[in-house]
Formats: sequence, C-alpha cells, structure tokens
Amino acid sequence: MKESYRLADENELIKASLEGNASAFEEIVSRYRRLVARTVKGMLGDSVYAEDIGQEVFIKLYYSLPEFRGEAKLSTYIQRIAVNLTLNEIKRRKRFFSMFSQKGNDEIYEYEIPDHGGPEKEEAKELVNKALMSIDPKFRIVVVMRMLQGYSTKETAEILNLPLGTVLSRLSRAQEQLRKILKAL
Amino acid sequence: MDLTDIKSIIIASASEQADTDEIPRRLEDQGVSFDFSSDFNEKVIERIFKEKFTVIRESDFGKNLSKVFYRIALTGVAAIVLLLLSIFLTEGSISFNSFLGMGSIYDESVFYLLTGI
Repeated sequence: MKESYRLADENELIKASLEGNASAFEEIVSRYRRLVARTVKGMLGDSVYAEDIGQEVFIKLYYSLPEFRGEAKLSTYIQRIAVNLTLNEIKRRKRFFSMFSQKGNDEIYEYEIPDHGGPEKEEAKELVNKALMSIDPKFRIVVVMRMLQGYSTKETAEILNLPLGTVLSRLSRAQEQLRKILKAL
Repeated sequence: MDLTDIKSIIIASASEQADTDEIPRRLEDQGVSFDFSSDFNEKVIERIFKEKFTVIRESDFGKNLSKVFYRIALTGVAAIVLLLLSIFLTEGSISFNSFLGMGSIYDESVFYLLTGI
C-alpha cells in the first residue's frame, strides 16, 4: 500500500526521498511541478520539449538531493535547477539550429496552445507566450522570474546568480523590447 | 479584462517597481497558467526508478564482462605459452621459420617445390 505524504513537511519528504521512497518524491513533484512549469514553459514555450525538460529537472533534483544542505529553500533549489537546465537547452538548440539555418532561435519553438479555457483565456496565454518568445533569452528569464514566478529583483538576482544591477538593466532592456513587440501584436 | 490590459501587465512586470505578488495572480485569473500533462508525476517517478534498475543491471553486466574477459585472457596466454613450448620442442628453436613449420626445410627444396625446376 502506498504511504501518503500529502501532509508531510518538506524535511520529512526529503529524508524519505533520500531513503528511496518513491511516494515521498512524488509528493515533492506534485508540490513543485507548477513552479517548474512556469519557468520551463515560460522560457521554451508550451511545447513537448518543455515537458521533457520539466522531467529532467525532477530527475536531476532526485540525484542531487544528497547534496542539498537546506541552506536555501527547496523551492529556490528546484528553481535554480530549472533555470540552468532551461538555459542549457536554449543554448543547445541555438547551436543545433545554427548549423542548419541563419535564423535566430526565436523560430525554434513551436507553440501548442492547450485546449482549456475560453477563447479569451487562450488569447491571453498566446499573447504572453508570443511576447516572451520574442525577446532575447537573457532578458526573457528575468521577465519570467518576475511576471510568472512573482520574485522580487533581489530574489531574481539570487536565483540567477547575477548582480542586482545586471538584473535591473536586463529588466529595463526587456521592458523596451516588450513595448515594441506588444505594439505590433 | 481585454488584451490591452494583458499587454499593460506584461510591460509592467518588467518594471522595477512592479508588484510581483499581484502580477502572477492577475495573469492567472486571465488563464495564463502553466502546468505539465496529467501523467507528468508518473513519468518522472517511472524514469527515476527505471533508470536506477538500469544502472544496477548495467553495473552487473560490466562486472561479469570483466570477469569473463580475465578468464578468456588467461586461457589465451596459457594456449600461446603451450604453442611456443611445443614449437620449441619439435623444431629446436622458436624462429620465424619454425612458426611456419619450415625450420628443417632447405631453401633449395622450397625453390623446387614452388617452381618445379
């Protein structure tokens, strides 16, 4: 019979996961899947690749749990893994596609608008997706952290391991790009 | 809320003074939410625990392969030593000619055998 960890606290879940308990780790996945989805899908678009990267994030988390010292929150730790894997994927795709075409990486991603919500809700999501995909990934990640995850500039700087000044200048550049893009949409 | 409002929220989110607690909530109210497929959890768990077993099987295979390799290598070395010993005993030396079985054949005989003259 599967042990229920629905009410368990984070430390309990980590301890049980380290002992190889699948149910405990599944509870961690349940709790943080949306957090990861916002970063991964916000950066890569609503595509099948995003789903794969999402899985990779949790697989990497599972194998790096023994190194988790609890100095940062588990959510921050997961967020860092998600950011790193997503940025690596963008670089990998950019390299791969640059071998075959001169086009930028903006054309790489396929949009799959999920079939839920009314037409207005779909439009809103499509607009956010298009706006995000139209800006440079190094600006996009900062916007995703703020717009979709709700992090402050300080938290964004900590997660991305960037100086606060860099985050602020990227935000300003991102805002400039977004203004131009959204005017055309 | 129409698309112009959504555009304003997107632009405002990149502002330093943006209320970052409020923006994700407002967007979510407009259907801008992200999640993975319904079987995402099962896929992750399956991949982790399947990979674990694969690694164990792979390491077992590696161990068995190295054991078999040492056995084959030892048998091979023993066979070579026996071959060299038997060549030395029958031919009296382990020269190249002895290897070819021509240690006791004269050059003239070989020439005769090959040309018939």
